[in-house]
Amino acid sequence: MIFEKSDKGRKSNYIKKPGIELKEPGKILPQNLLRSSLELPSLGELEVVRHYTNLSKRNFSLDTNFYPLGSCTMKYNPKVNEELSSLEGFLNIHPYQNEACLQGALELIYNLEALLCEITGMKRFSFQASSGAQGELTGMLMVRKYHKIMKNKKRKVIVPDSSHGTNPATSSMCGYETVVVESNKDGLIDLDKLNKVVDSETAAIMLTNPNTLGLFEENILDVAEIIHKNGGLLYYDGANFNPLLGITTPHLMGFDVIHLNLHKTFSTPHGCGGPGAGAVGVVDKLLDFLPSPVIDKKKDKFYFNYKVKHSIGKVRAFYGNFSVLVRAYVYLLMLGRQGLLRVAQNATLNANYIREKLKNDYSVASNKPSMHEVVFSCTKQKEKGASALDIAKRLIDYGMHPPTMYFPLIVKEALMVEPTETESRETLDYFIESMLKINKEIEGNTQILHDASHTTPVKRVDEVRAARNPDLRWHPNR
Amino acid sequence: MPYILNTENDIREMLRVIGASALDDLYKHLPSKIRINGELNVPSGLSEQEVRQSIRLLAGKNKTLDSFNSFLGAGLYDHYIPSALAPLISRAEFLTAYTPYQAECSQGILQAIYEYQSYICLLTGMDVSNASLFDGASALSESVLMSLRITKRSKVIISSTINPEYKKTLYTYLSGFNFKIQEIDFSADGTTNIDSLRQVLDKNTACFALQSPSFFGIIEDAEKFSSLAKQKGALTIFVANPMSLSLLKEPAACGVDIVCGDGQVLGGSLSLGGPSFGFVATKNEFLRQMPGRIVGKTVDREGKPAYCLTLQAREQHIKREKATSNICSNQSLNAIQAAIYLSLMGKDGLEKCSLYSLNLSHYLYEKLKGVEKVKLNFSQNFFNEFIWQVEDAKSIIRKLYKEKIIAGLAIGSFFPAVKNGILTCCTEIKTKEQIDDFVNVLKNILK
Repeated sequence: MIFEKSDKGRKSNYIKKPGIELKEPGKILPQNLLRSSLELPSLGELEVVRHYTNLSKRNFSLDTNFYPLGSCTMKYNPKVNEELSSLEGFLNIHPYQNEACLQGALELIYNLEALLCEITGMKRFSFQASSGAQGELTGMLMVRKYHKIMKNKKRKVIVPDSSHGTNPATSSMCGYETVVVESNKDGLIDLDKLNKVVDSETAAIMLTNPNTLGLFEENILDVAEIIHKNGGLLYYDGANFNPLLGITTPHLMGFDVIHLNLHKTFSTPHGCGGPGAGAVGVVDKLLDFLPSPVIDKKKDKFYFNYKVKHSIGKVRAFYGNFSVLVRAYVYLLMLGRQGLLRVAQNATLNANYIREKLKNDYSVASNKPSMHEVVFSCTKQKEKGASALDIAKRLIDYGMHPPTMYFPLIVKEALMVEPTETESRETLDYFIESMLKINKEIEGNTQILHDASHTTPVKRVDEVRAARNPDLRWHPNR
Repeated sequence: MPYILNTENDIREMLRVIGASALDDLYKHLPSKIRINGELNVPSGLSEQEVRQSIRLLAGKNKTLDSFNSFLGAGLYDHYIPSALAPLISRAEFLTAYTPYQAECSQGILQAIYEYQSYICLLTGMDVSNASLFDGASALSESVLMSLRITKRSKVIISSTINPEYKKTLYTYLSGFNFKIQEIDFSADGTTNIDSLRQVLDKNTACFALQSPSFFGIIEDAEKFSSLAKQKGALTIFVANPMSLSLLKEPAACGVDIVCGDGQVLGGSLSLGGPSFGFVATKNEFLRQMPGRIVGKTVDREGKPAYCLTLQAREQHIKREKATSNICSNQSLNAIQAAIYLSLMGKDGLEKCSLYSLNLSHYLYEKLKGVEKVKLNFSQNFFNEFIWQVEDAKSIIRKLYKEKIIAGLAIGSFFPAVKNGILTCCTEIKTKEQIDDFVNVLKNILK
């Protein structure tokens, strides 16, 4: 623990003296506004560097390990993105500088918007949202305001039982009632069941396509028709857009409002869980509801346009996670149209290759063809005494980050594998081989799986105890 | 193709394994009606060399703060960042990992976040912190939603001197519900008007939210407000600048219930305002109403200390529509960056930052007192920024800009009652010479 390395005798030498006579805080401010003591550690730079360098080595990461975490699109994060997003001209600009000082940044956002519009068929994008979930909130609040302005009486939002947890949670944050529609035996939307729950009070359906089973919703146009006929809108959760780049667009599928996770499909790094960016795109009828400002261009000058007629307002301060936008833009310039199509094709190819090689040993959750990810149901293994959790933890011993576990909720003992397009066939083969070996291990002694992982700095972590006796911080006097 | 390792040979072989004859076969189950006709109208890909050149050109079109004598703050502050920070936070093992769902192979991340949570608790004096939210604005919004859940009441009162970007965000976040938001005004000295609060506070009030230092830079006497709110059973939410907390009374000692704010000041760059991170800290009793990820310390099966994500029963992936928030990804890397920044700066470094900022901004204030036509009618209890007024703020700002001085932010569009107010900030990076130069040029302009 960093706090335990402190020695009060240590001082820092980072800040210059200001060159004016220094007064004690008590001489400037009333004493009752000041704090009496501050418990912060005093450390030397080497200690801090060593501490955090060593902490960084106690993790799996994309740069060190295969990371087939389903729904998270852990593709390679190109280093050029990092270099260019760290240019002084991007780091050291303040959003309240006048627009003349920010022309490069505004032009970049403007160009990124144009590219994403072409890739998705949407009319405009907002980049305020800092994550996929915040993108959902942005998009669904636009849906809400749209219905309000149109004087549509709407009450509920439909989500499939396979949806990401953020979808129903977002619907609640927008004041809607969530209606869950069961999937059919293939793991796709059941049109009959959908027809039964959709009515004139349906505000929207939130869908991801391919869905969380990695399957393409083949009836998407019928779904769109059912929803639109009832005056509802279609929200596209773009978490799984990767295999559709250059193949189809959310617009062609009938969606009205979408978010794209730039930290998934567009290669920006996940940073232990953020910062990401949720780019929110809309079709014509929702243009007036975008968060304000949008970025427009007049006679070669870019500017913040606050004139958005029915804008929902802002979802965060300033204009979003700008340096994430720089990375996504760099990626798009590198790839170009052929590159984007190759991303989609190879992401789909890699997932199907794994599926084909493992399907005899691990049950595939659906007979429908897979897109960018494949969901296995480890029920056969479970019967022999090894759960999806055990298999996941055992994979760590083989040097790979586990797939997403126990999701989607409708698949028993689920392992959701998303290899992404950037992995080599050799890596996929090693994963396949390891999964087959683990399956053989189950035939022998399952204890080796229950005890996994064996090679990590700590063994199986007691999560129940963590929740029962929350210890959430270091205390100075303990 | 950039970043794809499969060769034509691999592709052929893999297709054979799958039983497909061409890549497009992978898509043959998609309705033809929705297929893109031909190709996307996106330019062809470029070499890294070309991309680098064109991006550098764009970056060069921005004029950074370094090309000015800048006094801009207003919620986003230019602080000194130690050189050791970037190499540590850029380590690929942090940068390219996902949320630490798998504790055994994420111990370093989890411990770093645990240390971050500890730092937030030490600074705010509160019992518990989450693992971060998006930014100060969304942190305030989530804190207000939290107070509505805790009290089950439906009225929200906020001080009008909260950062206007945060206020706008709060209105958006609450727009799906039928909650009422009421803003209370400020007194002649710029402090939040406690009499106005007294008038509107009632048994249906979930919370009162106060920012200190306020958007005007003024340090509020938060204790007065929290004890008043408590009388009606309302919670007090305190929006804090964590940098200021190395010097100012910790919010916990002011009797508040939830502390939130933006963490950019803890080692974050400006980058047009993002990414930074938001923080939320609260009392133990409200722990289970907190939004977002939380890391806890526990043991592994051999009894060794270990860390993991915990109290997940609050979160969307478990509770779905009944979750405390929809948040999934947060701003982990920025939170870890703050922990590293605080470790590097240490107690001594952070206290110096605050002490120097305080002294420099008050030095500037004293100098402005001697400038004719400058009005200083707000409270002198400010931390690192304050409001001054002149006859035509916008034109003065323009004239100073021509002299390469960014005087600060004209706040008239946010606060019509302070039409000609300018919010001016000094952090520890300013020098006596820069301040003197600013005042001298201003004197000339106002002559």
